[in-house]
Amino acid sequence: MIRATGASLVYRDHEREVFACRSVDIEVVPGEFLGILGPSGSGKSSLLYLLSGLKMPTSGSITFEGQDLHKLNDAQRAETRLTSFGFVFQYPYLLGYLNALENVMVARPEPGFREQAKALLFSLGLESKQGRLPHELSGGERQRVCVARALLGEPKVIFADEPTANLDHANGLQVVQLLNQHRGDGSLVMVTHDPSMLAEADRIVRLEDGHLAP
Amino acid sequence: MNPLGTPIYLRRNASRTLPLMGVIVLAVLLICAIVSLINSIPLSVKTIYKYTSLMMGVTPRGEADRTPQIKRIIEKECPVPIGRLALCRASSTEVQALVGKWQFVVIAFDRPDLEYVLKRMGTTSLVGRLPEVGRPEAVISEPVSRNLKLKLGDILLGPDRQDAYSPQNVKVVGIARTSNWFMFADREYYTMNHFPPIDFILVTAKNPARQAEMDRWALRRFKGDRTQVISYLEIERQANEMFKTLYKILDVVIGILVVVITLMMGMLINIYLGQRTHEFALLQALGYSTKTLVTRVIKETALVVIGGWLLGVICSIAMLNVVDHWLMYPNAYALDITDRTALAYTIPVPIAIFSAALLTLWTRFRRFDPVGVVERRLV
Repeated sequence: MIRATGASLVYRDHEREVFACRSVDIEVVPGEFLGILGPSGSGKSSLLYLLSGLKMPTSGSITFEGQDLHKLNDAQRAETRLTSFGFVFQYPYLLGYLNALENVMVARPEPGFREQAKALLFSLGLESKQGRLPHELSGGERQRVCVARALLGEPKVIFADEPTANLDHANGLQVVQLLNQHRGDGSLVMVTHDPSMLAEADRIVRLEDGHLAP
Repeated sequence: MNPLGTPIYLRRNASRTLPLMGVIVLAVLLICAIVSLINSIPLSVKTIYKYTSLMMGVTPRGEADRTPQIKRIIEKECPVPIGRLALCRASSTEVQALVGKWQFVVIAFDRPDLEYVLKRMGTTSLVGRLPEVGRPEAVISEPVSRNLKLKLGDILLGPDRQDAYSPQNVKVVGIARTSNWFMFADREYYTMNHFPPIDFILVTAKNPARQAEMDRWALRRFKGDRTQVISYLEIERQANEMFKTLYKILDVVIGILVVVITLMMGMLINIYLGQRTHEFALLQALGYSTKTLVTRVIKETALVVIGGWLLGVICSIAMLNVVDHWLMYPNAYALDITDRTALAYTIPVPIAIFSAALLTLWTRFRRFDPVGVVERRLV
């Protein structure tokens, strides 16, 4: 479904070139839970952003359902992210002026998704919190709202960038389990430095200095 | 309701949107009030002397025996059909304007001419009566009575009045209900008591709509002659000329005001947009294109700016209404509370602020990196 072919990402740090990813070849298969494991600074997040079209590779290509993401314009790439991908970031970013339900609906604001958003909050144990503003929620609850947002609209791929980094172990595991349980037929690509979070992963790849480890 | 809809953002972020609107409201209020009040000065000139738009005065300069000659010229040569040609006498007095005292004329008519002119002035009713022939009496219009605080029986002109002299006390015996300003007396009393003994001519066009045409003809015909033409056209021209410099100063003041307010608002908007960096980064990462986000912010800004301007206009009209009610109307000062020029002067405010917002937005989104923000590399 998503294929990276010889994908590299180079940052310029003053005069120096820094390789975040070096000629990465990887494929995300429909329905799988792919774990990307690696120490801090190994390029895990960069690879995730490449696969999700948030970053464009310096060389190589990223295709989604056969379509080269690089060849799409900003609006088309955005549309692909909105309708086909779901995101959970390391920090539980929510819009402060929207309540939990509205924050979930940010992923798909069409009225037709309202009931699904409510159902997701219910299944994530946040039914009674749907009218609360982000500052009225705990860290774990906020991240669960982010999970619900990522799941809304049944995206084909959910990208999770260290979603447990700011949670205690129990809450972290719960978030991963919830993502895995509710993703339906969608794939889950999760980046983490903690191997225990990938216990349910179908496949784990390791990244070291921007390379996929053998 | 769309959680990213403009109304939700504006309502839930009232602590940000209301101060922005407030500044626009105050700016519009300030500009509207300044321009309306300044405009009330030339407007007063035009209102006070508006009666001259219904008739034209022609007077010889110092030669009493020229009047019949002037009368003949008008009767023979004027291309506009004449409604009435009346011989009159006059004396000067003053009315109280917003910027001090202004010259005004008491015109003395024969009874039939007086009745005609009162009708011509749009008099709907008369409180009291008309001056009796040969008596020191006057009829004034309602705005004049308000302006000079004169009631029936009060003295309009008198022997001890420097600014409103007459050898005898001239009493107000009638107050005419009309919007025009005038003070009319009896010609026989003036002929017997007032100096210089010069009759002048008041001419009206048969069709009031053609009065300006008659004025233009007279101004051309008597140009260079020892004759003075008193017409509304000339008064209007002089008023416009008189206030030309004042309006130039006003333009500079308003210009500076708009620039200062725009800079202030630009800075405020920049701060507020800076506070929304995380929101924009998150939405862009989730799949909202730059165009969608920019359009959304433009809609919000447009609503704040247009809303602020409209509210400002409403507040200005309300405030000017209060000023008119308490200060202007009781003194018969002219004030247009829906002055179009004043409203036009406020239009640069929303345009400039909106342009400043667009510039700020363009600067922010030109090299916006949502990943940098969601990764917390950039805050």
